[in-house]
Amino acid sequence: MASIVEVTDLVKRFGDFTAVDGVSFSIEEGEIFGLLGPNGAGKTTTISTISCLLAPDGGDVTVGGHSVRSDVTAVKRELGVVPQEIALYPTLSAGENLAFWGRMYGLSGAALKKAVDDALLLAGLEDRSKERVEKYSGGMKRRINIAAGILHTPRVLLMDEPTVGIDPQSRNHILETVKELNGKGMTVLYTSHYMEEVEFLCDRIAIMDHGKIIAMGTLNELRAVVGGMDVVDVKVESVSDLVLEQVRAIPGVKQATRTEDALQVLTPGSGSVLGKLVATLESEGSHVTSIAVTEPNLESVFLHLTGKSLRD
Amino acid sequence: MRNLLTIARKEATVISRDRVALLIMLAMPLALIFILGSALGSIGEGDSLSIDVAIVNEDVGETGKLFVDGLTSSKELAALFNIDVSNDAAAVRADVEKGNLTAALIIPSNLTEKITAGEPIGLEVIQDPGSKIAGGIWVSVVKAGTANASAQIIAGKVLTEELAAAAGAGAGGPRARGPGASAGPMLTPPQLPPMTFDAVAVREIEAKVDARISMISYYAAGMTGMFLLFGSMFGAFSFVQERREQTLARMLSTPASRLAIVGGKAIGVLMIGVGQFTVLFLGTRLLFGVDWGQSVAATLMIGFAEALAAAGLAMTLAALGKTERSIGGIAPAAIMLFAATGGSMVPTEQLPKFLLPVQVISPVYWTVNGFLDVMRGATVADVLPNIAAILAIGAALFAFGVWRLRFE
Ligand SMILES: Nc1ncnc2c1ncn2[C@@H]1O[C@H](COP(=O)(O)OP(=O)(O)O)[C@@H](O)[C@H]1O
Ligand SMILES: [Mg+2]
Repeated sequence: MASIVEVTDLVKRFGDFTAVDGVSFSIEEGEIFGLLGPNGAGKTTTISTISCLLAPDGGDVTVGGHSVRSDVTAVKRELGVVPQEIALYPTLSAGENLAFWGRMYGLSGAALKKAVDDALLLAGLEDRSKERVEKYSGGMKRRINIAAGILHTPRVLLMDEPTVGIDPQSRNHILETVKELNGKGMTVLYTSHYMEEVEFLCDRIAIMDHGKIIAMGTLNELRAVVGGMDVVDVKVESVSDLVLEQVRAIPGVKQATRTEDALQVLTPGSGSVLGKLVATLESEGSHVTSIAVTEPNLESVFLHLTGKSLRD
Repeated sequence: MRNLLTIARKEATVISRDRVALLIMLAMPLALIFILGSALGSIGEGDSLSIDVAIVNEDVGETGKLFVDGLTSSKELAALFNIDVSNDAAAVRADVEKGNLTAALIIPSNLTEKITAGEPIGLEVIQDPGSKIAGGIWVSVVKAGTANASAQIIAGKVLTEELAAAAGAGAGGPRARGPGASAGPMLTPPQLPPMTFDAVAVREIEAKVDARISMISYYAAGMTGMFLLFGSMFGAFSFVQERREQTLARMLSTPASRLAIVGGKAIGVLMIGVGQFTVLFLGTRLLFGVDWGQSVAATLMIGFAEALAAAGLAMTLAALGKTERSIGGIAPAAIMLFAATGGSMVPTEQLPKFLLPVQVISPVYWTVNGFLDVMRGATVADVLPNIAAILAIGAALFAFGVWRLRFE
């Protein structure tokens, strides 16, 4: 398979601050490529350079062989963009919004009408198309936001955190929609800070932090980064800095991070560590309420690579 | 090009669905035209009972005084006219020109002489041509009075001569009763000189704008000229909103060019302005009976030019203001300044000369004065300079806006 999006040594600065710092990846035609990273990692900035909203300060991006540096219009024609914000006109109806965005991509007449009807169907909002978008729930707005990006059946769909702030039902609908679109042959670049979404959807994943890609591959390849390690999730009432230090000092503990009421520990063999772990916590007055050993996931990969949690 | 029209249509739809925009752009001007146009009364045609007139008696003989007494002593005339007797003919003429007086009668210095000689007399009746009905009443009163007075005077003269001849007594008795009083010696004079209506020379003075145009028409021009610019504020609001809500970024990610986006938004504001102007033009005609003048084409062209200027101003506002708050502060202040110096509130002739530099860059100035000129009878050719000025200002505002506009 040929790659349809090529990002090469991409650099984007805002003043002195380097938001994207030498990022390279390529997306094969027909795949769903995930860009996973915490808030501020540089995902939106990366997507914005691909969609020609921001000009790169270094490196290059090509889409379908067209460079964002020299052939902006050709790049834009290949792309559908679903922005992180709900970029719709609240006082226009869903149908009017979709018709507008369809026209902006050159659709008209019967083709436009069909595209709008199909998109409404995909969003599951065909019977509410005449309602103003401002009356919609958050989830419905998100669905129309996505529908507006696919009217012209782009070759590549860029989706920037399309599920932020919505109910689980709408989220599932959206994830299914992405699968459906991909099934019809659309290449998707999907960014998120929810590892479950990326695990569920993506063929290949790049993990991004502080403007850099810190790991890339299929889900299994990424899991292999943490090797045969176990993840120990401990629910505790509180963890002091001192306790965290002591836990990290336990032989066999590779990494340890805490969130508000939990401690996550990465270890090659949980059996030898569990006893000492509980003893250390209890002796320092951190009361353990539950403990579980799990398979590593992208969260643990991120933890392993950065020493912090994705959700911080 | 297609994108440009798509964006223009969307823009016009979005603004037209904004209730506040409709309130400010349509309801406010209509309300203000009504309030200002009626509260300050009207100097237009067909109105009130108190017509301001003046008499200047320059007659060196006795007859002029008889005229004055006759006109001022009549109760019927007092109900209709507010008669001022003055000595200063120049001031009275100026007042008619300014519209402070509806009409005036100026009695020449040689009146007695002419009448005595039986020659046609030359009374000067001047009237504000913008108040033809009120002025016309005055003219007919003077004519009637002249005919009556002539008859009386000649009768008196004949009688006096006869009495003098008969008894050698002094003249004056019957004359003292004046021409307004009907009771008098009813001797039919032996011959009447052609002392009738044609004897009164009615000189129409070309009075100025504010004198000719009724208050309601004046404010229809003034407020329309002002409020047509308000479309720019909502156009700028829309730009800021699109920047904040990322629809602008989304548009930029489509193949549409920046030029199409900016141009489309400007044309959207223009479309709103054209719609607004249509409503105000027809609304003031139908609701308030405003007479916009003979040349509808000229008025429409001026209105269209100002709607274009509003589109240009929208770009400047969008470039200067980063938020709706700041634009909501800048826009009304700028528009008010343009409007106040441009004649929306007070005729520009009455404003001090040092405001001229602001006036020439105010699209409102050229618009309002253009509208008023057309109401006064100007044609398309007459207002071409106004249209050119409005378009030039609009183009400058557009260019500045596009130059400074930020998309992110
Ligand atoms: N226009 C901008 N000006 C300055 N800093 C910016 C701008 N856009 C993004 N940033 C900064 O760049 C970093 C990456 O932002 P972003 O790409 O939005 O991250 P993500 O989408 O992964 O949350 C953040 O630290 C953000 O504050
Ligand atoms: Mg983002």
